[in-house]
Order: sequence, then C-alpha cells, then structure tokens
Amino acid sequence: MSTTDAVQERQIGTGVKAFTSANSATGTIRFLDSPEEVLDFIDGPDVETTVVISRGGTTTFMSPALMAGVAGLITLQGAPESHLGILSREFGIPCVMSTEFTEGVQTGRGETIPADGTTVRLDISGDQGLVHLVES
Amino acid sequence: MTETFDPATYLAAFLGEVPQGEPGNAMMRDRLAVPFIDTTHENVRRERLETDEVNSWLDYAAWNLWDFILGRASEGESGLIPRQEYETVSFVQQWNTYPKFQQMLTDELGVEGLLELAKTSTREVGTKINVTRNWAASVCPILGRGIGIELDQDTAASRREDLESIIQYGRRLQNGTWGDGPGFVSARGFKVPTLDDDVLQSLVSQAKPFDDPEDLASFRAFNARTELFGFMLHYDCRAGMADTGPYPLPDGRVAIVRDHFLNETAYPWAGVAEGLPYCVTEVLIFPADKVSMVVTEIQTTFSEPSNYLDYLEAGVVFARDRIDTPMGELRVLEQEEMARISAQCRKGTMDMYKVLAKKSHEEKIRDGVMVYTREFLLPHATRAGIWDKFLAEGFDTLHPNAQAAWPVLTSPRAAEILTPVLLFGKGFPHVTEE
Repeated sequence: MSTTDAVQERQIGTGVKAFTSANSATGTIRFLDSPEEVLDFIDGPDVETTVVISRGGTTTFMSPALMAGVAGLITLQGAPESHLGILSREFGIPCVMSTEFTEGVQTGRGETIPADGTTVRLDISGDQGLVHLVES
Repeated sequence: MTETFDPATYLAAFLGEVPQGEPGNAMMRDRLAVPFIDTTHENVRRERLETDEVNSWLDYAAWNLWDFILGRASEGESGLIPRQEYETVSFVQQWNTYPKFQQMLTDELGVEGLLELAKTSTREVGTKINVTRNWAASVCPILGRGIGIELDQDTAASRREDLESIIQYGRRLQNGTWGDGPGFVSARGFKVPTLDDDVLQSLVSQAKPFDDPEDLASFRAFNARTELFGFMLHYDCRAGMADTGPYPLPDGRVAIVRDHFLNETAYPWAGVAEGLPYCVTEVLIFPADKVSMVVTEIQTTFSEPSNYLDYLEAGVVFARDRIDTPMGELRVLEQEEMARISAQCRKGTMDMYKVLAKKSHEEKIRDGVMVYTREFLLPHATRAGIWDKFLAEGFDTLHPNAQAAWPVLTSPRAAEILTPVLLFGKGFPHVTEE
C-alpha cells in the first residue's frame, strides 16, 4: 500500500502490460461487454477519464474507445502480441492484459472485476501491469 | 504406463522441446533432414519434391507457426468480429482452392515471372506484394491441410501434388524477394530489410526531425489512427499493415518503413475509405543505441524497450494514391493532409463499427473468409492482370470442404480441434513415401 497526500492506493489487479511506460493512467472503471455498450459509452461525456475493461484482446471491438482516447485499457484475456496490445502501444494508451483481480464484483460469467465507477490507476512501469484501487 | 499430457509444456516450448526465437530457429535447423527452408536458384524451379524436402519444410513451418502464434493464441474472444472462426474456415478454403489459382498465376507469369513479381518488395513500398504474402500464401493453406486431416477430409498421404505446388509457390516468392538463402523471417534473424539501398535512401532522405512536440504528437496520432483503420478495413487482421526493417542507417540511427493500406477497393464496404490514398507509408527513425527492434513473419515490429515510439526522432509520410501509382509519383504528405486523413480514418472506423455491430455472426464470418482468402493472392493476381479471371473461375465460392468444416470450426468444439493443430505441432503432418 502506498499513500500520496490524502489519496490511498491498494493493488487489486495484476496482468501483463502491453508496453512499458513511466506514465500511469488514472480513471474510473467502465466494463464494456457488447458493441452497443461501446457505442453508448463513447457518446458520453467521460471518455477521457475512463479506464475501460473488455473481455478479449482483439482490436476492433475496442476501436471506438481507442479512437476516442480513453485513459486506459484493461482486458481479462489477451497478450501484448495481440492486436489490441499492439494498437494500445501505438496510441500510447496504458493497457494491462489478462488481468486477474483479487476483489470486485462478479460479471455475468463469474469473472471478478472492479465495479463501474471505481477509480483505479494502471501502473505499467515495472515488469508486470498493475491495477491499483484509488481511495480518497 | 501412460504419460500425463501437460499443455503448459507445449506452450513453453514447441513439442515441449524447442524454444521460441533465434535459439528455436537454430534447434529446428539442426533437426531438419535436409535444409530445404533455404531456397536456391535450382530448387525453386523444380516441380516435384523429395519426401525429405517436403517433411523438412513441414517440420520447420510447424515450429515457425507456433513461434509466431504463441502470443496471439491467448488473444481471447472478440466482441465484434469472429476472427478465429473466419480465419480457420479460410485455411480450409485455401487448402482446397489455392492450388488451382496459384497454378493459374504460375501459368500466366511463368516461374521466372513469379520470382520477378516477388522482387517488387525490394523496389516498392505501398504494395501488398510483400513478405507477409510470401509466408501466408503457403503456410496458411497448408495449415488448412492439417485442419482437413483432423476433420477426416484428407489424409497425410492425399493430394501430395497440391502440397508440393503450394510449398513451391511460397518458396518461389521467398527466393524472388531474398535471393538464395533462408526464406522464412524466423530464419533471417527476425528482420525484414527488403528495400534496396537506393530505394530506402530516397525515402529516408526526406525524413524530418520532430523538433516540435506538437509535430511529434500529430505524427503519432496519424500513425495510430491509420493503423487502426487498416485493421478495421481488413476485418481485424494484419493484412492492412506491413513493416519492413529495421534498417541500420549510416548516422547510427535505425529506420522502420511502415505501410498502412487505407483504400483497398476489393471489398463491398470500401466506401468508408473513399478519398483516402491506397496506402500511406511512414518512415520512422530511432536512435539505434536506445531501441532494438525485430519484425515478425507478418511484418509487425516489436521492440526493446517496448515503448519504441517514445524514442522516435524523425519521420516522414508518403502517399501512394492508387494501387497502380508509380513509385516515382509517391508524394510526401504535409501536416494539413495528414490531419484530414487522420480525421477520415477516425470517422471511417466509427462508421464501419456501427455497420458491423448490426451484421449477423454468420455474415461477418462470410465477409472475413472473403478478406482472408483474397488477401494472400489478390495482390499477385492484380499485378498479373488476372484478378477478373480469378473471380470468373469462382475464387470466392466456398468449397464444399470449407462449407462442411464451418459448423465445427465456428462451434465450441473448435478449440478441441484447433489447439493441437496450432499449438501442439499437429498442423503439419508428414507425408510418406508414395
């Protein structure tokens, strides 16, 4: 656990970073599970302050989110060599792939993910991709 | 006593024995009965092959595919385009149809003409007659053979002549591009420096340093958006992009030359690309002491450190306006036009996404099969002037074996069939003496 001013952080997820960067990404979680949800999301006001979660590591599903410039990406499957890994690198959007969470809510398929609206920070500066819960 | 099968062993090393990368290449070469992955002036001109030659090629291709696909195999499911489904149906389609169409190309051009065709990638950028197609035109249909055998559509002994002709088609392309020597990128140090020096110099000499951070940011946004649009236009496959290099430069720097194909008119949805150049070609220049790069069999750059674009020092973008625009008429894109193209790629991606979101699963598989089957021969047939003849001969018609494989390969059972083929070395069974 680390403390910065009044903000506390706790690691809740570990995965594979798509690329290395000293720049982290902080934003609120939004799980996108269908193309319709992706389209609804990118028409909303909070795109650039959102860290989106998708299940797979393919590019096209998340292409509107990449084009719109989300703060960060988390996937539950996939690897850096996958298309989404490659494209997140090209866009410079921090991305943690095949992420496993230690706490959160259950998806319809029983995967554990942070609830929508949770604030997280993606750290891709080290050997792994880390997801920290940000609590103020 | 029965040995327990541990899939993790097969993910850590090919057949549980051969690693990835250059050490794996060296080990595989030692294992081959004959060094048939090396092309020679003599052996690319032969019509018939010895059994040892075929089996050596199959063994190497099996490792090569494993090496390249390992990272992607865990890509997981797609929420928009069923890519694994359309790719695997395409492999079966290619195995069953490519021999005829590759023969048509060979009849039209002759072996010498085919070798000359493959030399295109040493003289031109913005062309799909490239190293990706050299590889895919043979490895992908032969992977379809492996799937067909798993599905009992073929046996390892059947259609030997077709197998040999597909291997030779790919080897002739490799020899045309590289000359004598290893044809696979994995056997060439994972480097793809295809361009002749004079061509490279004419491109690199026009690169400009990114002194202004805003110029750099615009260039990077252009690179990302055109690349993503290329993926979308080509149904989430890498047919829309191709890197060559790394090219060491005399000033201690290193260049990558990158094609993004933005206006492939072969597809019904090409309207989203109207007004865009056929291809944009970027030259990206990095300090060689800070970034090392490899380029894969399907022309994708990976680097150490992985955030290579943070080290980008200079660059330039060219447009090839039409597929047949002469190299001498490539033009440098200025900021204003780059911004326009970038914006159109963003809009085109969104428009196409909305269309795809409404298409049925089956319709998207059918579209994907068309893309994936066309992409590896369309560039050759177009340049040879016989693409219309391909269409008239039923190039797009789904073969009965591909039709029969479709339900299985698009069902939950697919993983059971494909995992051993793709990852456990079962995709390239040996032929036996006739």
